[in-house]
Parts: sequence; structure tokens; C-alpha cells
Amino acid sequence: MKRVEVKLSLPVVAPLLDVIRELSTELDKTLAAPQALHDLDQDFRGAWIGELLEGQNQDQRSLLSLFDAKFFTEGVVAFDETNAEPIVRACTAFRLQLRERRLKALSDEALETGDIDMAGLDEPVRKAFTCYLFLATIQELIIQHLDSSIIGP
Amino acid sequence: MPESRSHTRTETHASTELQVEHSWRVVVLNDPVNLMSYVVMVFKKVLGFDEAKARKHMLEVHEQGRSVVWVGLRETAEAHVFSLQQWHLTAVLEPDEAR
Repeated sequence: MKRVEVKLSLPVVAPLLDVIRELSTELDKTLAAPQALHDLDQDFRGAWIGELLEGQNQDQRSLLSLFDAKFFTEGVVAFDETNAEPIVRACTAFRLQLRERRLKALSDEALETGDIDMAGLDEPVRKAFTCYLFLATIQELIIQHLDSSIIGP
Repeated sequence: MPESRSHTRTETHASTELQVEHSWRVVVLNDPVNLMSYVVMVFKKVLGFDEAKARKHMLEVHEQGRSVVWVGLRETAEAHVFSLQQWHLTAVLEPDEAR
């Protein structure tokens, strides 16, 4: 089984976990990307959203489980075929929620290009943006290093 | 009367054919959050696109704000929309008025 282990800086990442846990609580009953489902009848729409929410919550649990005792002693997280997909999806859900709830002060263009003066940001926004970049880095790592046998068509 | 019945049957048949042929589009809308590499990966995984086709549609979403990624029967279109939404892409279902 292909597996990628990444050593993270504990002092940098540990504070971001508080943000991620808060995001997880916020997303417990809310879709990260609200969807227009006008063409579905009401019952079907309810079941549809319920199933999306259930998947979203499972994905978040996969991501949070990366940060276990081993992470807090060695600073290491591991990705493999069992957790790669849910973690990539969870990163997206958290990034969407960060943009929606904590990064409104930043323009969409700035978020897309990453061209932001970190020193000029207030502490909560700086922390949220650092978290936003951290989650993107995890996604890039997984997409680049776990080939199509694990995450692909 | 027989003539009239026959006429009614023909109309019903024609109407059924129209319903069967009606197709639906799966449209993906742009968002400022998802990485280009992520969108390409999702298109490959969910829709079975090769790299070139996935990149083409990703760039269409990025530059034009939307891309029609699939056209066909409603049931399959719904399944694709659901899968794309599981990956947090903004995907919508539209009647394909071009057909």
C-alpha cells in the first residue's frame, strides 16, 4: 500500500487545530457548499442534503483523526488509500467555511492568488488564512504524491 | 370514433418520445476556493475524463464561470451532480434546451 508520511511543525500546526475543530462544529449540520437543488422535489431534496451532510461529517472525522497521539509526540501524519479521498474533501469543506465565516475581509482574487500581506492582517484573520493555506498544502501533497491507483479515476 | 382513438394513440406516443429524449445538463460553477489541481482530479474521478479533457473543463469553469461537463438522461445527470457535490463543487442540473 502506498503511503505518504509528512512531518509537520507542531508549534505551527497545533494552534490551527483549534480553528479546524471549530469549523467542524460549525459544519455539523450545514453543507460547506450550499447547493441549488430547485429541480428536486422536497422529500428527495431532504434525503439528498442529508446524505451529503453525512458524507461531509465522515470526511471531517477522517481529517481530525490524523491529529492523534502520534502526531502530538512525533509531529507526523500519514496519508494512504484509506484516508486520502475523505481528507482531500474535508480540506475543501473547511476551506470553504473559512472563506465564508472568517476570511470575508479578503477579496476572492486575493484568496485565489494568495497575494496577501500577512503582517497586515488582524490576528484572527491571520490565523484563519494560515489554516486556509495549511489545508491547501495538505490537498496538494495528497494530489501530487498519491497517484491514480489511490486517488484518481 | 375509431379514427379519433387512433389519433389519440398517435399523440400519446409522440408525447412519450419527447419525454424520453429530453436531456439534462450537468453544469459546474466557479468558486474562488477550490484549487485547479483539485478540480481536475474531481473531474477525472467523478466523470472519467482524461487529463486533457479535465483540464479543458476546469479552465472553462475558471475563465467563463461555468462549464457543461455532461449531458444526458436525468437519472444519470442527478447521480453526477450528487457526486460532484460530495466533492464540494457547485454543480447544478439544467434542462438541455439545445436538443
